[in-house]
Amino acid sequence: MVESIIGLPLLAGIVAYSLPKKIGQWVVLCTGILHLVLTCLLWHFQSTPLFYPYLAITSEGLIVLLITSCLFVLTASYMISFMAIVDVPSTSVFTAAMLCFLSTMSMVALADHFMVFWIAIEATTLSSAPLIFIYRTRKSLEATLKYLVICSVGIALALLGSLLIRVSTELCDKTIPFTFSHIIPIAKSLDIKWLKAGFIFILVGYGTKMGIAPMHTWLPDAHSESPSPVSALLSGALLNCAYLGIFKCHKVLYAAGIGSFSGTLLIVFGLISMLVATIFIIKQTDYKRLLAYSSIENMGIIAFGTGVGGLAAYGAMLHLIYHAFIKSSLFLCSGNILIEFGTKQIEKITYMTQRLPKTSIAFFAGVLGISGFPPFGIFLSKLFIILGTFQKGYYIYASIFLFIICVLFAGLLKYAMIICFNESDQTTEPKFYKAESYAMVWQVILMLTISVLLCFWMPSPLSSTILQAVAPIGGGH
Amino acid sequence: MQHTNIILSLILISILSSLSSSRVLFLIKILVFQGVLVSLIPLFLREDMALGDGLFSVIMIGIRGILIPWFMYVIIKKIAIKKEVEPIIGYHASIFIGLAIFVFAIYISQKFNLPSQQKIPLLVPTAITTLMSGMFLVMARHKAITMIIGYVIMENGIYLVGCTLSTHIRYIVEFGILLDVLVGVMLMGIVLNNINKTFDDIDTTLLQNLKE
Repeated sequence: MVESIIGLPLLAGIVAYSLPKKIGQWVVLCTGILHLVLTCLLWHFQSTPLFYPYLAITSEGLIVLLITSCLFVLTASYMISFMAIVDVPSTSVFTAAMLCFLSTMSMVALADHFMVFWIAIEATTLSSAPLIFIYRTRKSLEATLKYLVICSVGIALALLGSLLIRVSTELCDKTIPFTFSHIIPIAKSLDIKWLKAGFIFILVGYGTKMGIAPMHTWLPDAHSESPSPVSALLSGALLNCAYLGIFKCHKVLYAAGIGSFSGTLLIVFGLISMLVATIFIIKQTDYKRLLAYSSIENMGIIAFGTGVGGLAAYGAMLHLIYHAFIKSSLFLCSGNILIEFGTKQIEKITYMTQRLPKTSIAFFAGVLGISGFPPFGIFLSKLFIILGTFQKGYYIYASIFLFIICVLFAGLLKYAMIICFNESDQTTEPKFYKAESYAMVWQVILMLTISVLLCFWMPSPLSSTILQAVAPIGGGH
Repeated sequence: MQHTNIILSLILISILSSLSSSRVLFLIKILVFQGVLVSLIPLFLREDMALGDGLFSVIMIGIRGILIPWFMYVIIKKIAIKKEVEPIIGYHASIFIGLAIFVFAIYISQKFNLPSQQKIPLLVPTAITTLMSGMFLVMARHKAITMIIGYVIMENGIYLVGCTLSTHIRYIVEFGILLDVLVGVMLMGIVLNNINKTFDDIDTTLLQNLKE
């Protein structure tokens, strides 16, 4: 059953490649729904995989898998209406790559072997690259090349890091399988020097993919140049997958008793990412890049929370979930705006409340949500992270964190006001209202609703899984 | 032992010449040479040889030494590039940096104290030099094709590091990694080809539409 979650989208991808455009889109949606059903079954039964040491079911993996699956279904249903309006060239490649992307992301969530995890992460890069350069414009090609080269080189460093951790296990026990769950129980007896070196390379490697500054340079380009449904998946699902690698590795170091080393690194890199993102958000002219930099900022927050541990680690895991839903909804909104206005420039968007009433409400709500306004979930997760940081006595880190999120709040809201309520230009006439049908808005509203709903009512399997996931790094209380 | 040292020295020479060359075709020839040599290394490290090891090495040579360079060759024929334009860091300086990397690698490898190091002292320094020189090539050249070549060299280096550090090689895992690299290089090639159609050149200085 575990293998079918990986295998089904892959097979469907191969099938979809040979199908005509109309049917291919529905194959994507149906596979997504089936994938979601399988994921829910996996949550319920937690069966052991056939390829046991290579794949395993972990709490954090289940969370990421569920987020990925939910987002994929919603994005796929948006994509059908999107492709009816926007002319996407080589549709068969697009649908096939979408499904392969889902398959590789599921593999990341379920992989437990260090090397299999690496293979899966690199495979996500490869399967998402065709999605980014699908329009074959100069900018999208440039973005794809940057994405491929920077991420491949970065992830190659993570491979080196995995090899270094391998040394530390071989010095201790040669027969043990090289998986996260086998290494954590014996972590105390591992060689600390090699573990530390390995973690640094893994942090740089998977951090590149996750968008941690200063290795983030590919992210704004790739996220802004790809079609909006793809941006939603890249930001909501793919970044979480890369985070999983860092999180699992942090677990190993924590179990080895050097959690403060990896934790401090995560805190520092997290704060740097937030700071860099803030600098670029304050002076931004392109709304898709604005959202992309906001993703970097949120990944920084998640890394920060994980590094702090305790209540903050619980907050970071919540942040992962809320960010995925809210950011994807914002990227889907940006798709509607781009269809209506045909530009990514912030100042050229005028009279949005009249031209796109539903989208403008959803977009503004989404920006409020992402900048931490109640009742959206991110308010809660940020609160937990701040409380956790104070609890641990990191007063300086907490004050830097608070300062940055205040500036970010101002920056994001300033542009959201301009985008939604700019009525300075009198000349532009509304052209067409294609993007304003309910078929392209309900997904956005549902994503936002989920993020609000999870704030007030967390299903008990989900909350217990989150607690299980963060318990090994001393999180949850 | 002696053979291993000879092969390792040849790999080092291939790296230095890759740093000094401006001709892309020559770089691809070096890639063939280096790919074959790197794939041979695990055979010499092992005391007992099984049939599986031999077969695996043949596959490795096939992919690393033939398939990847051949694919790169197809790309450069298609987009007709011969020479690297003005590199970011000059060729003489590049050789000097390569040598400096080697010295650094020898210095740092003495601190590792690995079991394989007593047997073949050149192994760890070569692995580190290959890895770092590959990264250097990615950073120091303008042409996107040279960057991809740098990435492949870097990957060769990581494979050497893997040979040095760990005695158990799981074939299926190694094969998966190699497949990822192969597909990665192919995709980069396809993107390059597409860029060539729209830009008429693949100098990365032209790839500066996207920036703040």
